[in-house]
Amino acid sequence: MTRSSGIALFSSTFVLCAAASASASAAQPGDPPDGMPKIETVVVIFAENRAFDNLYGHFPGAEGIDKASKESLEQRDRDGSVLSELPPVWDGLTAKGVTPPVTQAMTEHLPNAPFTVNDAKGFNVPLNATTHDLWHRYYQNQMQINGGKNDMFVAWGDSGAMPMSNWDISKGDMWAVAQKYVLADHFFMGGFGGSFFNHQWLICACAPYYANADKSTAKPSIAVTDDSGTALKLADNSPKSARDGIPKFVSDGNLTPDFYAVNTMQPPYQPSGNDPAPGGDPRLADPAKPTTLPPQTEPTIGDMLSLKHVSWAWYSGAWQYTLEHGNHTPIPNFQYHHQPFNYYANFAPGTEARREHLRDAGLGGVSFIQAIDDGVLPQVSFYKPQGNLNEHSGYADIQAGDRHIADVIAHLEKSPQWPHMLVVITYDENGGIWDHVAPPKGDRWGPGTRIPAIIVSPFAKHGYVDHTPYDTTSILRFITERFELPVLHGIVVRDRAVAAHGEPTLGDLTGGLELN
Amino acid sequence: MDADRIVALVTAGGIELTDRRRNVRNDGWSLSFANGATVEVGDDGNVRIGGKGTKAVAGLLDLPVAPRST
Repeated sequence: MTRSSGIALFSSTFVLCAAASASASAAQPGDPPDGMPKIETVVVIFAENRAFDNLYGHFPGAEGIDKASKESLEQRDRDGSVLSELPPVWDGLTAKGVTPPVTQAMTEHLPNAPFTVNDAKGFNVPLNATTHDLWHRYYQNQMQINGGKNDMFVAWGDSGAMPMSNWDISKGDMWAVAQKYVLADHFFMGGFGGSFFNHQWLICACAPYYANADKSTAKPSIAVTDDSGTALKLADNSPKSARDGIPKFVSDGNLTPDFYAVNTMQPPYQPSGNDPAPGGDPRLADPAKPTTLPPQTEPTIGDMLSLKHVSWAWYSGAWQYTLEHGNHTPIPNFQYHHQPFNYYANFAPGTEARREHLRDAGLGGVSFIQAIDDGVLPQVSFYKPQGNLNEHSGYADIQAGDRHIADVIAHLEKSPQWPHMLVVITYDENGGIWDHVAPPKGDRWGPGTRIPAIIVSPFAKHGYVDHTPYDTTSILRFITERFELPVLHGIVVRDRAVAAHGEPTLGDLTGGLELN
Repeated sequence: MDADRIVALVTAGGIELTDRRRNVRNDGWSLSFANGATVEVGDDGNVRIGGKGTKAVAGLLDLPVAPRST
């Protein structure tokens, strides 16, 4: 059963349930949809930075690259003309230290079309190699999507041809998991842009706010947009063509002109990229640093779960290691801005909520896996793999993350909690990588580009491709409905916006389940 | 090495730029990155790196790392 979150508003709930009572005599007002209580344990695994076509563009039965029109495969230059060829990948396709490297010169004169990085007849870069990262930022993502045509990913990127790259992962472990269970092929990232923002959308369906930013040290981080308000204002010295170089903007900051934080800011609490203030509380980040976000106070899904006494936790790989030993690269390469609850006053150091809900997953996720094996997961778990296992371009490869997540799935399938479990594996955002499907038109904040999502459960439709439109907030929709939580405001706004554009209602993941 | 070059090399390594501004002396740029590193690059090309992510950023820029005091 798929419901609009708007119906979860209290007054409407009564009406809906009264109407439904004829067909479901056992249902009581406020009950979750039929069958949902069969799910007792929800696990959300949040990997990094892959568009749907980047990994699953050739998945059988999915709306992938093979089904795309010729026009949707072409990229346009900044003046709107079709590029005669792709620009090279500036500074090369492979990350520093990868041997043999794929240099910038080797990427000259690529056709204006998607290309497969591990094609044996092409660059033949293995799945365990790390490749060049790409811009994945709030305004650029909207400029790249270009109203749904998705034809400006190269033009408004910083990595030349790189957005058009994809991989053949059909021999990978997670491909097999997707074949066994459900691959959702219309799942979109909740917010435009990058990891910071999309982690916020996963837990809050909201845009963080920096009050009085124009009177703070963060003032130079306020972006300058053009008249549309959805694109950055170009600098006078910006190259006219994508083939001439990376675009330049007047101010490509972290904050919108009305002070919402849409690109990466640091948590106000340790572990944070920003050190404590000299002589200050060692548990805090220096609030005077321009990139320290003030503590946030919007309600999160965690607050809603706690309100209804539903047990939950955010499991973070290498959390305790980083607190005790500092961060290290390339392993574990902990990512401060991938810890969304660490931005919220309700989870500040010293609070009972922090002790109870922000848990260490251990190095390589060992503590999380132990909890799985012991059958002691809370009713709702979020798992964030440490940096080297998250599949992010630039510092992580696909193979390590793919194998790690598949290993976690294997443990989940053997867990004592498995018979009543729902697992959702998805990516926080597209990582600046092209996808050919237009996102649903929504509100100011998203949805953004299409990303992979896999639904795993004993109740999953096996070997199924789910075409239901979802976004990151669909995870919150399921949790909200299953545990009868108050609906986060951002979900209500999103649903109204999607409806106002005449788009189909975003689902609650039950399209991939057989609960009845 | 200028600020644009530093940003290109560090961000290609998956470390996002989080802040870019002229320094207080107006003789160079102050850059901040998501891993906690800060890079001061003078208009004369002189580069200094500090903060939590110093080692990773220095490696991407082929610059020596000074030990952190904290």
